[in-house]
Amino acid sequence: MAVETAAVMDPAGLKAIGAGLAVGLTGIASGIAERDIGSAAIGAMAENEALFGKGLILTVIPETIVIFGLVVALLIS
Amino acid sequence: MRLLQRLKGGMGSQTQGHSNYAYTTARVRAMKGKLLSKETYPRLMNMQISEITRFIQEVEYKEDVDQLARSYEDVDLIEHALNRNLAVTFNKLLNISEGELNFLISEYLKKYDIWNIKTILRGKHCDASTDDILESIVAAGRLTYTFTSELAAKPTYEDVIAALSASECYSILKDYNGTNLSDIENRLDKNYYYDLFQAIGDPKTKDRKLFTKFIQTDIDLKNLVTLFRLKRYGITDPLMADLLIEGGLKLHFKEMERMLSLSFEDFLVQLENTPYWEEISDCCGPKMESLIHVETRLKKLRLKSAESFSHVYPLSIVPIMDYILSKENEVSNLRMIVRGKEVGLSDEEIRDQLVI
Repeated sequence: MAVETAAVMDPAGLKAIGAGLAVGLTGIASGIAERDIGSAAIGAMAENEALFGKGLILTVIPETIVIFGLVVALLIS
Repeated sequence: MRLLQRLKGGMGSQTQGHSNYAYTTARVRAMKGKLLSKETYPRLMNMQISEITRFIQEVEYKEDVDQLARSYEDVDLIEHALNRNLAVTFNKLLNISEGELNFLISEYLKKYDIWNIKTILRGKHCDASTDDILESIVAAGRLTYTFTSELAAKPTYEDVIAALSASECYSILKDYNGTNLSDIENRLDKNYYYDLFQAIGDPKTKDRKLFTKFIQTDIDLKNLVTLFRLKRYGITDPLMADLLIEGGLKLHFKEMERMLSLSFEDFLVQLENTPYWEEISDCCGPKMESLIHVETRLKKLRLKSAESFSHVYPLSIVPIMDYILSKENEVSNLRMIVRGKEVGLSDEEIRDQLVI
């Protein structure tokens, strides 16, 4: 007689996976968004060094995406 | 967006590696910001040639003037410095771009190779000295300045053509017999546009479509200038269709062929049906004395349309084309002022020629 054992995953594990996905995927998204902005900022800076400040700020704006991911990860874990 | 296009596989077959559109377009826009402003030209008009030399030495042309100051002076110095700067700037565009973008820019800049070959052949045709030929050389294409100056130093046109035997345009050049220069020049120009359209291929993406439109507008305006010149001097020979370039955007070849047999007045009436009339209507009429105003207006239209194209799709080759045109215009304006002053033209006459 076979005994069926119900496999129940620990909710803490699922939360950890969710948190990991939230940070990981938003990190990738930030990277993709920053790639073009960063290279454009470098291009503009190569011609005009005064654009360094503006370039830096514009480059880190997509960083908000991963910050939101981090917040979500902290909330669910 | 570009990522999506690449996933769809719509980037065309000539994609060679990754293109750095963001870097190049941002840099080129910063370079465009350094071009001379509209307000500078009236100031330049009030300067002497030596003051203009000093002025351009303080802006973007410093290195060029410094380099060439040992060999040339006055107007020749400015002329050479402007040409050198143009070549250096366009070579820089090739150096900072990668992949498909680099390929398209180099195909576009081949017009300078054609320009240089034409200049050398013209020079040889009228026995100009090597220095005179070099004055008009802009080594912004694939042919280097060293190679072009070697070509200019060749004694006869046969030697020039033999030295170009490995180039793409040799098949046309070999038909040159010393008398059919204009025919060869027309064929070179037509071949340039044909090759350019081949390089763009079947435009699938939005930026390639815009680039094609940009080139087609270029052809339209060139044809329009040719038609104006032909009509102004009363030439109605249908064989002159050979001077027109096929592939325009709004002026179809058949339509232009029909215009060829018309008189100047009828030609203007026909022109009213074209979209370009709106731009030039106030400066042309049956009694117009010179074509300067119309040609200047068409050049302005060209710059305006390039600028508006560049805003439609910022991450594409079009902002770079816009910069190339603006730079060429700046150099031609400076040359106009300097040459005008040298031969003693009045301010009014020089101002008419400027495209600001």
